[in-house]
Amino acid sequence: MQDRMEQLLDYIMKKCLWQFNSRAWDRKKQNENILKKAIQLLCDDAVEKETLADKCYWVEAVSLVDNFKKRYPWLNTMSIEEIRLLITELKERLDYLTITGSLNLELTDPLY
Amino acid sequence: MPYHEFKCSECIPERKQHAVIKGPGENLTDALPKGYLNTTPGSISERGCAYCGAKHVIGTPMKDVIHMSHGPVGCTYDTWQTKRYISDNDNFQIKYTFATDMKEKHIVFGAEGLLKKNMLEAFKAFPKIKRMTLYQTCASALIGDDINAIAQEVMDELPDVDVFVCNSPGFGGPSQSGGHHKINIAWINQKVGNIEPTITSDYVINYVGEYNIQGDQEVMIDYFKKMGIQVLSTFTGNGSYDELRTMHRAHLNVLECARSAEYICDELRARYGIPRLDIDGFGFDALSTSLRKIGLFFGIEDRAQAIIDEETAKWKPQLDWYKERLKGKKVCLWPGGSKLWHWANSIHEEMGLEVVSVYSKFGHQGDFEKGISRCEVGALAIDDPNELESIEVMMTLKPDIILTGKRPGEVAKKIRVPYLNAHAYNNGPWKGYEGWVRMARDIYNAIYSPIHQLALMDISKDEIPTKSGFLTQKILSDVKLSDEITSSSVMKEYAGKYDCVTELRTRVYPEFDSPKKLTAI
Repeated sequence: MQDRMEQLLDYIMKKCLWQFNSRAWDRKKQNENILKKAIQLLCDDAVEKETLADKCYWVEAVSLVDNFKKRYPWLNTMSIEEIRLLITELKERLDYLTITGSLNLELTDPLY
Repeated sequence: MPYHEFKCSECIPERKQHAVIKGPGENLTDALPKGYLNTTPGSISERGCAYCGAKHVIGTPMKDVIHMSHGPVGCTYDTWQTKRYISDNDNFQIKYTFATDMKEKHIVFGAEGLLKKNMLEAFKAFPKIKRMTLYQTCASALIGDDINAIAQEVMDELPDVDVFVCNSPGFGGPSQSGGHHKINIAWINQKVGNIEPTITSDYVINYVGEYNIQGDQEVMIDYFKKMGIQVLSTFTGNGSYDELRTMHRAHLNVLECARSAEYICDELRARYGIPRLDIDGFGFDALSTSLRKIGLFFGIEDRAQAIIDEETAKWKPQLDWYKERLKGKKVCLWPGGSKLWHWANSIHEEMGLEVVSVYSKFGHQGDFEKGISRCEVGALAIDDPNELESIEVMMTLKPDIILTGKRPGEVAKKIRVPYLNAHAYNNGPWKGYEGWVRMARDIYNAIYSPIHQLALMDISKDEIPTKSGFLTQKILSDVKLSDEITSSSVMKEYAGKYDCVTELRTRVYPEFDSPKKLTAI
């Protein structure tokens, strides 16, 4: 599981930009909403995309899931429970790298 | 991920916090260069000032505007020489440059009268241009000239003109990045929402953080138009002043250079609820993903896919020709703030180059998070390097090419390292599918230029071969390639035109049925 999570994380860090918005609160929202929607897409749950903001998170999630499936065929062999666990762990790790453990001093800048 | 101390900067211990080597098994929480700080005294780095960041980076690409600097004439020198943000109105904004030409006597007696005279003269000299951006400089800011008041006086006297005032003197931040921030906020505060646009599509975007370097914007706008998307404004390359006043009516902000323009996107998100979608216009894979995401947002992903398929089929074989010849070559990516992360992964995966170093003179720590993440292990990331540090990197890492600005680029040339102009490009556009191939061609031409073989020789000590013939690029690049590659009928050298932008300006685009209209019927 750890190895698989690292593969997904590597993809996000090398190919995506949404996890790096400039403030901690923004990164938290991005990580939470996009990965929540990614779980919903992977597990065939209903996905909210009624508002423009939700649609934007959904677009990033669809793109992420499509690329995950294309690059990591093992994802298609996992059960729904395993996928939920995997993406939840992925989010925890991503939050650590980009928010809680980040050395970026601007993340807590009170402007914005 | 250890912090890196340059030998030449041992006397400036603070510098150690500004350089990091990406180590194996390490991550962003182990080390991150400091960024967006005042230059350490004694370091003597080469940054742009806050005025430069506001005017020369963001303001001046607006095409239908008199861009007036209130200060010494030297502040406004960046025209054809150094900037290549072209426009489809005969490049008005870079052909003509305006400054009030403040002198010592104005510092003593004030220059508000001089400013007003210059503004009126400029509008009189160009009677078709009714818009002006006005920039504070260090000199006029320090003497306290009230440029807002003068702008208002001129607008009162000439009711058909509109003036935007940017208070971003050179000292208004540690680097040009301070000016990016100031002009973003000034624009949304003063101008956005003043005008209502005519909406012609169900899919409406602002294209933000794109400066039309050698036509980059026009290439991307071509894709958007092919998809039936209305681009309300471009902030700011080839952008129109009045179109940029209508940004509040877009459904989506498509953000390219987050370093220079995320501020206005974030404000548009907070004030008008327009979401921000960050994209990459460089690299086949990144661009395809970006177009697909925009298509998906509007439910027209099939239109995006059609462009991706057509462009990839046409240009991929040409990109691969260069990739075979560039594989393993070492590059220092030393551009501005965003290109280091736009390029770091794509240039490695799609051109085969090894990124040995990334640097930025004005990037923030967020740019280094993105850049370091996208580099491979071993890359050296540097914030605000001074010239000696750059030379030390070139001497130790021995890159085959540097992608940087013209000031550090000239230093690279002097120590015989080929360089390309990352800010203005050599033979752009570099964005888009064809553009990415053009960039690969420029890199190929630079690395394999026979002149560098000659430049590497030191006539004071090297033996100069007089019996061997002149080497061509292909002799140099193909020497180690297999027959399968050199005789490939699929991979081909770039076969596009010298100018691939002008024809886009007269292109006719397909008309799509509007889902809303159909529903109404």
